[in-house]
Amino acid sequence: MAVWVRRRQGADVLPVTLARRRLYILPTRAGMAFAFLWVLMLLAGLNYGNSLALFFTFLMAGFALVAMNDCHRNLLGLTLVSVSAPAVFARSAGSLLLTLENPALRTRPGMQAALDDGPLVGVDLPPHGRGRLELPLTPARRGIVRIDRLRLTSSHPFGLFRTWTWVHLAVEVLVYPHPHGSLPRPITSGRHPGESSRSGSGLDEWMGLRLFRDGDSPRQVDWKAYARGAPLLVKEYSPAGADLCLFDFAQLRIPDIEARLSQLARWVVDAEAGGERYGLTLPGVQLAPNRGPEHRHRCLAALALYGIEDA
Amino acid sequence: MPEPPDNRALCWAAAAFAGGLLLNIDHLPVWVSAAALVLIVWRLAATVARVPVPGMIARTVLAAAVVVAVLTRFHTLNGLAAGTALLVLMAALKLLETFRRRDRLVLVGAGLFLLLAACLDRQSLARAPLYLGETWLACTALAVIASDGFPGRAALALAGRTLLLALPLAVLLFLFFPRLAGSFWAVPRAEEAVTGLSDTMSPGGIGKLSTSYDVAFRVRFEGALPPTEQRYWRGPVLHDFDGSTWRRGSGGGSARVAPEPGSGRAYRYQVALEPSYHLWWFALDTPAKSPDAGVTLTRDYELRTARPVSDPTSYEALSYTGAREDSPPSPWERFLDTALPHGRNPRSLELARALRTRAGSDAAFITAALEFLRSGGFVYSLEPEVLGAEQVDDFLFRTRTGFCGHYASAFAVLMRAAGVPARVVTGYLGGEWNPSGGYLIVRQSDAHAWVEAWLEGRGWTRIDPTAVVEPERLQRSALDLLPEAMSASTRLLRASPWLVDLMQRWDAANAWWNDRVVKFNYATQIDVLERLGIHSPDALTLGWAFGLVLLGWLAVIAWYLGRSMRPRRPDAIAQAYALLCRKLALTGLRRAPYQGPLAYAEALRAASPALTEGAAALLAQYAQLRYGVPEPATRAHDIEQFARAVRRLRIRLGRTAAATAQVR
Repeated sequence: MAVWVRRRQGADVLPVTLARRRLYILPTRAGMAFAFLWVLMLLAGLNYGNSLALFFTFLMAGFALVAMNDCHRNLLGLTLVSVSAPAVFARSAGSLLLTLENPALRTRPGMQAALDDGPLVGVDLPPHGRGRLELPLTPARRGIVRIDRLRLTSSHPFGLFRTWTWVHLAVEVLVYPHPHGSLPRPITSGRHPGESSRSGSGLDEWMGLRLFRDGDSPRQVDWKAYARGAPLLVKEYSPAGADLCLFDFAQLRIPDIEARLSQLARWVVDAEAGGERYGLTLPGVQLAPNRGPEHRHRCLAALALYGIEDA
Repeated sequence: MPEPPDNRALCWAAAAFAGGLLLNIDHLPVWVSAAALVLIVWRLAATVARVPVPGMIARTVLAAAVVVAVLTRFHTLNGLAAGTALLVLMAALKLLETFRRRDRLVLVGAGLFLLLAACLDRQSLARAPLYLGETWLACTALAVIASDGFPGRAALALAGRTLLLALPLAVLLFLFFPRLAGSFWAVPRAEEAVTGLSDTMSPGGIGKLSTSYDVAFRVRFEGALPPTEQRYWRGPVLHDFDGSTWRRGSGGGSARVAPEPGSGRAYRYQVALEPSYHLWWFALDTPAKSPDAGVTLTRDYELRTARPVSDPTSYEALSYTGAREDSPPSPWERFLDTALPHGRNPRSLELARALRTRAGSDAAFITAALEFLRSGGFVYSLEPEVLGAEQVDDFLFRTRTGFCGHYASAFAVLMRAAGVPARVVTGYLGGEWNPSGGYLIVRQSDAHAWVEAWLEGRGWTRIDPTAVVEPERLQRSALDLLPEAMSASTRLLRASPWLVDLMQRWDAANAWWNDRVVKFNYATQIDVLERLGIHSPDALTLGWAFGLVLLGWLAVIAWYLGRSMRPRRPDAIAQAYALLCRKLALTGLRRAPYQGPLAYAEALRAASPALTEGAAALLAQYAQLRYGVPEPATRAHDIEQFARAVRRLRIRLGRTAAATAQVR
């Protein structure tokens, strides 16, 4: 089925607007039960020659057909605007973010989406509005998770039918190694190796304040100033005086590669959280000491992709 | 995966079930309804106030008890009444363990099944809106159950709209879906409460019936109506008298002799009988023949059916008034029709003999006996005194107050005592003309009893002693004569002329409903098809026609639903811009979704500089119109001018990949 559908529809390019040809619809289990009940009602009505029973049986038949049409309509014309996949740590909960757009004048309630084996997540789309869905994703291993198809579905309004479509998008989710390990962080003071004694205190040289920028650690925000009514300010410390960590893959004495990567990831996360400067050395990869979310991502990505061919 | 408890969905499911229960409440035993209602309240209390719900074992025990109770009451689990009772109780028990979506759906299903049971029980016009309401309720419950947190009012609107759209199909299917000429399986019918005339008569019996305002049957005449005093509707004929009660006795068999029209005239008419669960149909005076193969015309000219009248039934009949049957009764019949309980009512017998001796002939004796009733101070009343052991003596010589049953019974006894064969005929007298429907309504309050006596040379002759005592009865119904016997509601209904008129219209609507909807069957369906010009339809033609109609309906539905789903029409600027982008895409450089008009112009300029003159200017103009500061004075003109320019844009694809665009 999946192969046939893939061949039939081809790959999709965002934004995907759901056309009639790619919508599938089948009765749900409740719908089957309803059909069974309906047949019983029909037989009884015919047998007793009871006009009123037959009328209501036929009314229910019309009801089911309208409901089927309505269910199909609920998905038709919907647009999948974007799919974004923030990087996620292995074995922790991440999510795939979908943005759906409803171009119609009518609310589309009960829109649902799911990954192939994931749970259904639902949202109501207002008229001419957008809705965001977060599909939970918990990858087991680091590397790249390829999601090649999503299911958009709805059983609104009466749950008797479920209409769905598959969207084939090459979405890649970068999975960082699971940060784990208890070895102490190797700390080296970059420019002043002799002054390492100061580093334990965690006190850096005060430089001044600057305006908050996206990505700044909340730890560095001058909350007291903020409480006094000042704008969000960030305390800056001299990088020269900051601790400098160098994490080297080759120097770790852990035999298992994955465990080693996990330990490195742990250190990167902790160092970044501690506001330290850190660098990373992997076979073939050299990341100079720095800090900030971008640097952190670069380090973790290098760890995630270490030894993976088609990175 | 455990589902979160959804109390609103539970309430709606319970409401759908309770609705189904209420539709059946009049034919369910009281304890069944009460138990189900208690269980519903219990479950709802459990969600609101955390009242404990019985555990697994208690529920199993309860379920077993329910089966036993139903078996004890009905002696079967089969059949409509027992099945309904069992369904109600089991579904109510199910409610106690309703925690998941599937369980709620089961409750809605039970509600729909109860709707079916109610339809099988009663199909009256007054109930149809209730059934429709229950359908609506069940559909709303489906919507609420399907989507958690779907607001009730929106669900009601949604279900209502869906049902409205479904209505045309329901009507089409109702008219054209092939019906069965027979039935798949025999229909076990429970003993129902019988209404109307029974086949025994004790003098007080008919009086009780006469206070009922229910319709017994409706009659539509072809041509003129018989005069009021001749509207005798014949029912069971009674022969055996035991001193207090008249019984039908061994009467039966077909009529020996077809009646001759005689001095009266023939009437053709159509009777629509309400269900009475009795074994007879009614006909005017003397029916000429049996109206239906399943109905026997007995030698007393009764119409006797093989099965109780459990559904509204209609038939065409032919009757004669003043018909005569000349063949005299056999000696055995003569013996039966002159028999009286031995040693009872001595004073009456003595009176009869005395009158007979004085009269000289049977005919003169009848006149004398009627004269005795007329001049004896007899009173017509629905609430006579209670009679003593010798009922006829007590009535004729002491109370002298009675209703038609008393007079018919006493008169027949007088006849028999004098050796004149006599029998009591029960039925109805009169009928109320309904001008809105053009038919006669015969009500239970028109129930009547009269006497037929055998006279040499005249055959069986109808004698109505009540008419002698109260001649008005021939013209008016018993209720009109004795308003104190009417129930308060009936009196209210008859009080004002416009209410009477309203009631007659309502009755006409009911008659139409019974005739056209309830009795719509295989035969009427063929009839409808023939009227549409489809003669002797075969299955294939019908199938095609039906398929086409269904497709047409689906197309209309799809169009209607699609209308609300269509996106808003883009404005003129957006339309022109879309056209511009489509045209420019012909150059091979399609606008990427992230590109604005100016970025696209830049990209075009980079790819093929020849385009710049026309296209880039238009793109810039679009940006100005869409995002620039509008100049109200010239805006409409500017938009029009932009759209025209876009329409005139021609893309020329050169021999090389480079393309040129120009504005003419």
